[in-house]
Amino acid sequence: MTSTSANVCLEKVSKSYGKTVVLHEVNLTIKAGEFFVMLGPSGSGKSTTLRILAGLEEVSSGRVFMDEVDVTSKEPGERDVAMVFQSYALYPHMTVAQNIGFPLKMVKKSKAEIAQKVKEAAEKVEISHLLQRTPGQLSGGQQQRVALARAIIRQPKLFLLDEPLSNLDAKLRLDMRLELHKLQKSLDTTTVYVTHDQEEAMTLADRIAIFMDGKIVQIGTPREIFVTPATAAVAGFIGTPPMNLLPGNWSGTSVNVNGCHMQVSDETNKSCPVILGVRPNDISIVQDGIPVMVERVEDLGDSTITSFRDAQGTLIKMKKESESTVNEGESVTLGFNPKDAHLFDASSGNRI
Amino acid sequence: MNTHTRSPLRQIMLYSVTGISLAIWVFPILWGLLTSFKTERDVLAYPPKFIFTPTLDNYHEVIFGASSILPNLLSSIVVATGATLLTMLFAIPAAYALARLRCPIKKTSGFYVLATQMLPPVGLIIPYYLILQKIGGLDSYSGLIIIYLTFSLPFAIWLMVSYFEDIPLEMEEAALLDRAGRLGALWHVILPQARGGIAVTTIFVFLNAWNEFLFAVVLGGNQVRTVTVAMFNFISVEQTQWARLAAGAMLAMAPVIIIGIFAQRHIVKGLTIGAVKGGGRR
Repeated sequence: MTSTSANVCLEKVSKSYGKTVVLHEVNLTIKAGEFFVMLGPSGSGKSTTLRILAGLEEVSSGRVFMDEVDVTSKEPGERDVAMVFQSYALYPHMTVAQNIGFPLKMVKKSKAEIAQKVKEAAEKVEISHLLQRTPGQLSGGQQQRVALARAIIRQPKLFLLDEPLSNLDAKLRLDMRLELHKLQKSLDTTTVYVTHDQEEAMTLADRIAIFMDGKIVQIGTPREIFVTPATAAVAGFIGTPPMNLLPGNWSGTSVNVNGCHMQVSDETNKSCPVILGVRPNDISIVQDGIPVMVERVEDLGDSTITSFRDAQGTLIKMKKESESTVNEGESVTLGFNPKDAHLFDASSGNRI
Repeated sequence: MNTHTRSPLRQIMLYSVTGISLAIWVFPILWGLLTSFKTERDVLAYPPKFIFTPTLDNYHEVIFGASSILPNLLSSIVVATGATLLTMLFAIPAAYALARLRCPIKKTSGFYVLATQMLPPVGLIIPYYLILQKIGGLDSYSGLIIIYLTFSLPFAIWLMVSYFEDIPLEMEEAALLDRAGRLGALWHVILPQARGGIAVTTIFVFLNAWNEFLFAVVLGGNQVRTVTVAMFNFISVEQTQWARLAAGAMLAMAPVIIIGIFAQRHIVKGLTIGAVKGGGRR
């Protein structure tokens, strides 16, 4: 299949609104045909980056390239990108067919060609039976499909999706996630997807960029980010529930957490404050470990999440596929395998 | 029990209030309509006559007679239509720009636009008269239309800004990405959605211009005499020709009512077109 998709490059892109800096010199390269997810909490700058790629926001400094061509000052319509908005942004006064065909109408394609392409796009997202309705007569999921059809109809070089699933209910979101992935693979178009839902990011992405406070803190495959988070903040953001982060002091091959010496696989010849990270799946109840009290047991059916509170008041979560063996209010001690420990610098938060 | 069922007493109260309100609103129009079919003698009869022999003489007189208001109706149509078209021509892009503008002057400009509406019109008569006299615009269509613009334009802009602001920015951005361009986005996406607001504003501007009397009587003359001024001629020191005045008023109301009925469909359609679910503004 011939790929018409573009590679994208952001070079030291910054964005400020008055004195508020929302993006700090972001550098990013997205390969052609890649499903690239920008993940981060609200206000981290991911949507701004997407809008800069679309040409809807001007950069304060830096440059944007598509296929090695500088598009920084190009208008949105000149970039050959299509975008699906969080609210879908369908035109309420037009029928579904008119909505989907609108991008082709704007470039003066013939009516016959528009009708043919609308039919094809509608078939791809399975909404052929809805073409004569107006957006107001559609459910959220159907509107989402219309927005997708409008985006794919003119085969753009770059797809931009701004939290497109966030308005759907949980079940529909799972179904659409699968379909989106299938659609992207079949079209082979570079896709940039913005979300704050890390599960969505992990399941859809070829690569993920984690945004925090207007900076990219890590770029990698979902597995890389999960297994080797670059900072404590990333570690605390990725995973359901996210990684437990415990302040401690590292010396030799152990970290002192609340007076308990927990063994880790790395070794140091000096004593330094660190943040010890352990995934909830890697925590176990052991004979000798960090003393905690069981605060809450959540039975999810296929797994159990147990929340503990240690002497310093830090919340620790444990996730097991088996039923809980402890009761709320009980005192236990927690431990982990040394190879599952992640260490982060206490002051910078960077991975050691 | 269905909690949504209204009690009979509540129903009666609702219908009574609606009926009374309607009667108060309709009475002057009905009284005017009846008067327009009466002879001058019947009009002045006391107690008032509700049963009388209707006559079309008044309508004949105000249409074909010596005091025909047809030329004045024409003047009103020219002035009101001209003022409305020009107002909308400038107000639509201005309101759109103000609605989308991201700068601090936006808030203050809104106030200044509205402030022009706070000036008492009578205070402006003399300056306007002098200006029009200087530029030779007295008793001319262009002169009167320009003066009407000074009031209608700020009002129309102020009214329409909120309609444009209500249209999600994302729709416009989607159109820009769909290669519609700024003007294309305005034409294909924004204006169709703002048509309810545009229709409402057009009607208000037209009505204001149509019903305006003060400026028309001072700044108009023999060449440009609108229907409101012409009707004033039925009131003189010797007598007031109530029946002819009523017939004239009914004729003057006709175009407004026709436009109202025609535009109502668009207004309702514009207001009920319905936003896209989950839509929101940034």
